[in-house]
Amino acid sequence: MATVAPGVPTGPYHAVLDHIHPEPTSFIRKYIFSIDAKVIGMQYFITGAIFFVIAGLLAEIIRTQLLSPHGAILSAATYNSVYSMHGSAMVWFVVIPLLTGAFGNFVMPMQIGARDVAFPWLNLVAFWLFPVAGVILFSSFLVGAPDAGWTEYPPISLQGPLGTNLWCIAVFLIGISSTMTGINFMVTIYKMRAPGMTFTRMPLFVWGQFATTPLLFIATTALGAALAALFIERVFGVPFYDPKRGGSPVLWQHMFWFYSHPAVYIMIIPGFGIISEVLPTFARKPIFGYKMIAFSSVAISLLSFSVWAHHMFTSGMVPWLQLPFMIITMVIAIPTGVKIFSWMATLWGGSINWKTPALYATGFLITFTYGGLTGFFLAAVPADYHEHGTYFVVAHFHYVLYGGSIMSMFAGIYYWWPKMTGRMYNEKLGQLQFWLTFIGFNATFTPMHWLGLLGMPRRVATYDPQFQFWNQFASISSYVMALGTVLFFYILFDSLRNGKKAGPNPWGARTLEWMVSSPPPYYNFKKIPAVLAAPYDFGNPLPYLGLDAAPGATEATPTSASHPVPTY
Amino acid sequence: MAQRVVKPKTNLGPGFWPVTALIAVVSAVMVYLVETSPLPIGLIQAGAPADSIDALFRFLGAIAAVILNIVVIYTIYFGIVFARPKGAPANTIGVQIHDAPVLEFWWTAIPTILVVILSIYSVKIWADLQNSKGDVLTVEAIGYQFGFQFRYPKVKGVLNEMHLPLNTPTTIHVTSRDVIHGFWIPELRMKADMVPGLINTIRVTPTVPGTYHIICSEFCGVAHSVMRTDVVIESQQDFAKWFSRQGGGTGSGGGGSGAGIAIDQGKADVGQKLFGQKCSACHSVGPFDQKQVGPGLGKIFNDPAHLKLVDGDAPTPQNVAKIIHDGFQGDIGVMPSAQVNQLSNPDIANLVAYLASLSKK
Repeated sequence: MATVAPGVPTGPYHAVLDHIHPEPTSFIRKYIFSIDAKVIGMQYFITGAIFFVIAGLLAEIIRTQLLSPHGAILSAATYNSVYSMHGSAMVWFVVIPLLTGAFGNFVMPMQIGARDVAFPWLNLVAFWLFPVAGVILFSSFLVGAPDAGWTEYPPISLQGPLGTNLWCIAVFLIGISSTMTGINFMVTIYKMRAPGMTFTRMPLFVWGQFATTPLLFIATTALGAALAALFIERVFGVPFYDPKRGGSPVLWQHMFWFYSHPAVYIMIIPGFGIISEVLPTFARKPIFGYKMIAFSSVAISLLSFSVWAHHMFTSGMVPWLQLPFMIITMVIAIPTGVKIFSWMATLWGGSINWKTPALYATGFLITFTYGGLTGFFLAAVPADYHEHGTYFVVAHFHYVLYGGSIMSMFAGIYYWWPKMTGRMYNEKLGQLQFWLTFIGFNATFTPMHWLGLLGMPRRVATYDPQFQFWNQFASISSYVMALGTVLFFYILFDSLRNGKKAGPNPWGARTLEWMVSSPPPYYNFKKIPAVLAAPYDFGNPLPYLGLDAAPGATEATPTSASHPVPTY
Repeated sequence: MAQRVVKPKTNLGPGFWPVTALIAVVSAVMVYLVETSPLPIGLIQAGAPADSIDALFRFLGAIAAVILNIVVIYTIYFGIVFARPKGAPANTIGVQIHDAPVLEFWWTAIPTILVVILSIYSVKIWADLQNSKGDVLTVEAIGYQFGFQFRYPKVKGVLNEMHLPLNTPTTIHVTSRDVIHGFWIPELRMKADMVPGLINTIRVTPTVPGTYHIICSEFCGVAHSVMRTDVVIESQQDFAKWFSRQGGGTGSGGGGSGAGIAIDQGKADVGQKLFGQKCSACHSVGPFDQKQVGPGLGKIFNDPAHLKLVDGDAPTPQNVAKIIHDGFQGDIGVMPSAQVNQLSNPDIANLVAYLASLSKK
């Protein structure tokens, strides 16, 4: 430690760090304005969970309204605000921040053997924009919440209540937060991997985060511009979108979907990463086709930039332009299919330990495949002429968003819960919670496919009485899902009070975060380990050097980052 | 900690081939059901393009059913036969394979081929729709908050109901007066967004008489849920009767309309303001070729390249007023009538005065 200033103790590297950046002792610096990625990750989890509960209650209000074809509880105006806020909150304030900010911050630095992210202060700012933006979003209920859906197409959004302005501000702020997180994670993963962790030795969850980062900081800028223009038009009257004054309503749709289609992949690629960690751990065998899974995430990420107009096949554009968007959309099915087959092959021949995370990962395989296949029906332009704007679309995107993103998050939370808290959850209740959610989910959203095909448009507060039976079926099933969610939170609180001590590695997993105590210590690693191989070879000894070195030893310092010297 | 390696299974697993056969049988049954069900979407086909769109839907359904069977049944089967037996030690490991290049090649290649086939088939149906004949009857549908209006050739003003004759290729131009609406007839499987300032076109050929719904499929405000109306598909004789009751087929374009407009009382400055509100979404004030949706109107009264108006009449103030009053429909596009645009006769006079002032510059 030759570079240390005079008077600073030398010795193991962490001791030096402790001196420069000692672990904060005040409550505020430790738990409120922390710069520790793990604490920020937990803050994201807690904030996201609060928004998930609110947005979930809005969903149950929607389903309760639709118990009756005439609208059971709300006026059409209130109902429009409720479903608009449900969608906005779930996309921007639950799924995106949880999959990137929460899982990314808590797990990713440990998995690459780093002590923190590259820009801890940027991380702090990015997190605090999130609850602030969330409060702004939900305060719009006080002045008239936005009522034109989460897509807020002008010109109808130009007529929307005052809360639409707050919606613009809130989503703009969360977009800035996303951009910060994207840059932070990209630099962290690129520069801060432990010695020896080449790209093909990175855990697949890290690959998922890495493939997501360009979406976060490139696509989000288009949304920011669109939102700024909408806000300026609503507040100052500059006509960007109003056709009566020379604006173009279709311009908004292009800019919105240029962000929001990549955002779909922001909401699923990190989930792919979670599944790729959970399945090998519980099947006790290497992930099948590591490189194919890693590179297909990157392929999906790049392709996702050139498919946005498949949301606009009926909006009005040059007809031939529909074809490239259709074909590129279908091409995305190829890397996605490769992933699904690889995960199935990971289950094959395993010694599967059927714990709750494994159940969720397998449930994800089924529901996400279903959602992906209905995507094909929507991608094929002529079929989309019929399906666009109907409940078929609602069914499709809930299958990929709930059956994909949220199922993967449930898998991830059960999987890393012992790492976060040091305590186990109640396994029996966890499995019961899975079955409630899985059955409730499928029963809620499957009927919506045929409701849409038979003629029920989306975003309606009342509907044709011929659709009553399946709507009631969906609503009652959604209460089963809600019961599952209540049970989920009970399981977490029960675990905090009564859970058994988990120990550092209750699942026998092999990625680096399981090599430290639970919950992990400040600075994650006393000594940064050297990495000798990808983490999934369950038949081999652990591929890490330097974790168990004697006290006082210096860190593993291989001669080159890509070719560490030690062998065993 | 040294891990005690328990010898893994190496065969494909008990019952692998029977399960594969089960997948084949279930898939075959499902494909048969999808391909033979008379109505794959469960809703009658009231005419073209419902038949070709349903054919595409069937094709997609068959492929999706097979893939879903493979994923779901194998996943459940693997989950059962490869579950760790009760009492097995916690460090039991599975088969330590990393990949199987041949297998991976095929599960990349086969989906790629399927995507190619699906793309070609979708493009073919798409091209059929684009090239389908629709010009025997041309109807204009205009959405507003909250309802639909229709304009027929040679019928003065707008109608609040839509009738379509059987077996008649029909082109429907849709647009909106205020916000974005959707124009969807589920029984025809056809939909287009009604976007203000833009005209979207669909072509249909009704073949089954009946009364069906036209449903708004884009959120358009507080009464979106109830924004729907009927479309009556009837024999050509019945349609002709209805059409003549609406005043259609009795003469040429409602001749003499706009006659009561006092053109000489128009004020150009008022007209300029109106133009910005009502016309500029589609028309520029440049020369004819500076088109947005419709032609530029800056030189409408003295354009050496266009000695006649789009309807073939001489560019007199009275004839321009007539087009604004009646609307226009032709190769160049469709313009809604004054009633749809909510223009009064004095408004028209003001607009004509403004256009005349442009042409003098």
